[in-house]
Amino acid sequence: MALTVLRGGHIVDPATGQDAIGDVWFEDGRVVERPDGRSADKEIDVSGHIVMAGAIDIHSHIAGGNVNTARLLLPELHRAIRARLAGTPLSTAKWSSYETGRLYAQMGFTTVVEPAMAPHHALQTHLEFNDVPIIDKGALTVLGNDDFLLGMLRDGEKDGAINDYVAQTVENTRSLGLKCINPGGVEAFKENMRAFGLDDVVPFYGLTSRQIFQALQKATQAVGIAHPLHLHMNNLGLAGNIDTALATIDAAQGLPLHLAHVQFYAYGKEGKNGFSSAGAIFAEKINANPNVSVDVGQVMFSDTVTISSDVLKQFNSLPGAIPKKGAIFDGDANGGGIVPYAYKISNYYNAVQWAAGLELFLLIENPEQVFFTTDHPNGGPFTTYPELFALLMSADLRAQHLSRLPADVLEHTTLPSISREYTLYEIAQMSRSGAAKLFGFEDRGRLGAGAVADIAVYKPGRDVAGMFRRASYVFKDGNLVVRDGEVSHYTRGKTLHIRPRYDREITKRLDTYYDDLYGLPRSIFDVPDAALPHKDAFAEVPCRI
Amino acid sequence: METATLDGKAIALDDAYRHAAKILSGAAFPLVAGLGADVAGARAAILLAEQLRGAFDHLASRETLADIDVKRSFGMFTTTANEARLRGDCVVLIGPGLTRAWPGMLERLALSQPPRRGAQAEQPRKVIWLGPEGDEASAVPGAKVIPASAQELSGVLAAWRARFGGRPVALDADKVSLIDGLVETLKNARFGVFAWSASTLDPLAIEMLQGLVIELNATTRFTGVHIGGRSGASGVTQTAGWMTGFPPRTGFGRGYPEHDPWRFEALRLVESGEADAALWISAFDGEKPAWSHADIPLITLAPANAAPSRGLFIEVGQPGVTHDAVLMSQETGGMTLRKASAPTDAPSVAQAISAIMAEVSEGAWR
Repeated sequence: MALTVLRGGHIVDPATGQDAIGDVWFEDGRVVERPDGRSADKEIDVSGHIVMAGAIDIHSHIAGGNVNTARLLLPELHRAIRARLAGTPLSTAKWSSYETGRLYAQMGFTTVVEPAMAPHHALQTHLEFNDVPIIDKGALTVLGNDDFLLGMLRDGEKDGAINDYVAQTVENTRSLGLKCINPGGVEAFKENMRAFGLDDVVPFYGLTSRQIFQALQKATQAVGIAHPLHLHMNNLGLAGNIDTALATIDAAQGLPLHLAHVQFYAYGKEGKNGFSSAGAIFAEKINANPNVSVDVGQVMFSDTVTISSDVLKQFNSLPGAIPKKGAIFDGDANGGGIVPYAYKISNYYNAVQWAAGLELFLLIENPEQVFFTTDHPNGGPFTTYPELFALLMSADLRAQHLSRLPADVLEHTTLPSISREYTLYEIAQMSRSGAAKLFGFEDRGRLGAGAVADIAVYKPGRDVAGMFRRASYVFKDGNLVVRDGEVSHYTRGKTLHIRPRYDREITKRLDTYYDDLYGLPRSIFDVPDAALPHKDAFAEVPCRI
Repeated sequence: METATLDGKAIALDDAYRHAAKILSGAAFPLVAGLGADVAGARAAILLAEQLRGAFDHLASRETLADIDVKRSFGMFTTTANEARLRGDCVVLIGPGLTRAWPGMLERLALSQPPRRGAQAEQPRKVIWLGPEGDEASAVPGAKVIPASAQELSGVLAAWRARFGGRPVALDADKVSLIDGLVETLKNARFGVFAWSASTLDPLAIEMLQGLVIELNATTRFTGVHIGGRSGASGVTQTAGWMTGFPPRTGFGRGYPEHDPWRFEALRLVESGEADAALWISAFDGEKPAWSHADIPLITLAPANAAPSRGLFIEVGQPGVTHDAVLMSQETGGMTLRKASAPTDAPSVAQAISAIMAEVSEGAWR
């Protein structure tokens, strides 16, 4: 592939500390040092532009059975309106896997992590990934409501066996790490519990949520998974759940822990509605606990749908569905609940949620500790990221929005008092360098020599959201895939996965377990290469040890 | 040996692919129908329909859309066969022919064994069968059989739901008392499961059933296992879902997908003359199209024994039999790779369509 240079752009690359005018060279899909004695085969003048590595979305529900159920549940949410361009089949089919790849690429995103892959439905997630063009994908495997794990913990088995099980499940489902969703709470819901807190006990297992997530947290570290345990805590969405969040952080034992969509846990009980933002208290706690990282799950005012493997929570949300319908799936372990919803700026609760999310962004000091998700599509679609970045970068823009919120909201959030504005460098820390570190990616989220040539070039202007919505150029593995905000053709991205080491004895034990319990061969849940339409669908990411 | 025929006479395979491409690309609004295929075949077929700006439908869409219509207008509770097997303490089978729709059902749901998890673990499982066919229920010792004809199912479910809500029903006292007893059993279940197939229930009956599920969940746990349609219907629906956002009966005439269960029904498109060429895919068992007469050019992809006397026929293998295939598995509720049980050289649907596509396209994305 041609030696290419992007000439004279403003490089913003926190991983290498660059924040200055310079050139970026790449060849054969990788960033290279400027080669001595060779001139570029292709030179692109990007003066007046911002040059960043391709962005990484660490938590976005883009694939899998629950996402597909949402598609089928809500045809009215995604009517297409425009024919596609040549060479990009289904790219305007709204909410299709193809459109997902196109829209992410247009925003300069080149890697996206689907955070909730059920072990027994992994193949479908991977088949859907295969049909998301251009970008690289990865998934987190969900454990923590599965009988095999809970049974081992109940029986007091040694850490070694638990570690082997965790590593085997991650390898076999071909993911990047572990997610834990309302640990024990979903199993408890099957036994008709309707609420489940950090220290409630799972019926028949005698375990608390706290014990389950701590065990998984330790196992994640022990087997060398770079990404900390990705935890969806108990009591999502409930007034006063800040207490759960603070107690969970205290329970983290100082070990690495990633808390998902924390906006949904930043609620106090102040005011006449008994619902207030606790974003400031939460942010203070994060600042004091560097072992904890978070993504926000920002609410953006829009019609959307909530997709979650926290079946207990989703069942409880059904009466508030907009429009009034939903799907509740009691899966082999977690399952899923799909409940449509509309966030309105005029709604007191939604406005508090919006403000709480922004407080978290603006009060957490380290941009590599907080990530920009909307928990797509739960707080809003990923296509609202450009508006979100604009809000973070402009106190004026936030003030304009604040003036439209119900007046009493302002009494229950500190947002009006916050003047911080993110710089482009901080946006890049959150969406590039920090995100890469969070998953142990050493060759992406950066523009240093050797990095994958995933590059986003933006034309700055007064419309910050517009700049991020339509990148001027996007290169994926060195291929120009976006020009002036339009995808010109598809390339095929990879699915990233890790292979933690473990003692293979566990697989025999699992075989016996599946035979005995389900009367099915365990291999029925496998993700073999032969099941996917294309060879080389996967790329392995090294483990930490 | 792979074969192709044109109006019953053998032609070379390459000629057949070229001829198919010519028919389809010459049509103003071609139809991809039948769609009895594995995931790879469905994927190729949908990409072809998109490329041609035609439409696609599946031969079991009526059943599939009965479930989906309830889901998207009302909502739905479901579980896996595994959870029903392990935890279901009260399993209520609805309607006749479930064991035909899903031959492995009785074994998979382990109906004659007790559940293994939860509050009722190792207690006898209660099995109730409303309106079984013939002696279908005799395979489940201890099952309580409630006789009902297929036509009566909706009315019986309505009566159950009415009595659950304490509302009067216009039935004799004996029947009311029977129903009240049944409703008590449902209320006392700890993890109850209805199993149904849309091949014998209409959307209103399914909605009635799901309405009852929602009401039961006010105090206990209850859910459902739905039995998918024939010829790979569930896997095709999932594939169509992620590729287009919609289930089959979707058209691309405007260059983007539009879903309309009436407008894009294959039978209607053919009989009305709106479709002017059709690709009929039925790789599992060679099921024939439902239309009785069709004056449009027809291409059939089916196993060897299903060659039609008219039109262009290209032999394809059977998914999971002659070649490995990803299918939605009724026993797990998820997709799985089925290894070929009797491999042959016959092309898969995906391979046949790929060969046609190579003759059609703008430089096809596969």
